[in-house]
Amino acid sequence: MTNECKKGRNIKDSTSDMVNLTKNVDQTDDLKYNRRAFLKTAVGASMALGLSTVPFSVRAMMGIAEDEGERLEVARMDELPEGNSMTFNYPTESDAAILVHTVNGELVAYNSACTHLMCPVFYEKESDILLCPCHKGYFDVSNGQPVAGPPQRELPLIELEVENGIIYATGRKYRHG
Amino acid sequence: MGSFMPREGSTAMDKKMCWILIFLTIAGNVVMVQWTVEAYLGREFEQVVVYSGIGVVLAFIALIVYINWRKLEYSTEGHR
Repeated sequence: MTNECKKGRNIKDSTSDMVNLTKNVDQTDDLKYNRRAFLKTAVGASMALGLSTVPFSVRAMMGIAEDEGERLEVARMDELPEGNSMTFNYPTESDAAILVHTVNGELVAYNSACTHLMCPVFYEKESDILLCPCHKGYFDVSNGQPVAGPPQRELPLIELEVENGIIYATGRKYRHG
Repeated sequence: MGSFMPREGSTAMDKKMCWILIFLTIAGNVVMVQWTVEAYLGREFEQVVVYSGIGVVLAFIALIVYINWRKLEYSTEGHR
């Protein structure tokens, strides 16, 4: 009885299905995909998730020093009758914003990129609401909070000042209300 | 043979605890990633640093627990 005989008995000579089931066992897979490998992957996933937050905090620490409260002339009051809106850029040229003179006579301004997927929002005079047409997201015009649709966060609020009939943007608030 | 049984039992319990802790760190880190991104988009920079710090701490806890688990796992299996 040599080892070769045993191999031959189990693999080649037998016609039994039960014996031939051993052909399904792949030793390489057994060594690769097992309980230990699963736990190692879980640890890797946990560490990857935890460390993936680091770039955000590095950017945040750089962002804390940024000052974006610059005063900018936006429009004249007589150019913007009640129920109308206009677009401008604040605080930088790449930050689109919308200035609304609501039907109630209120002056409000927000960055117009929808907080869902950055589509521009528009003012709907009839229903006095801000609408993102891409996925039907609605924002309350008086405070910029989402009221319907996919957006979860409010629109960044641009603080305004009116002086001698001229509207100025003076700062921006991301979390408000 | 019998003298090994209590030790084996406690080791199994320790290893189970390691599994639980590692899965808890995964759950915690998923939440921290979500909160960090949310705070970052809302320009709440102080919060970003706090959540990110917690995420890093949980990642290190996972690593330490894993090292402990590896010590237990490979020392007991080595007797076979």
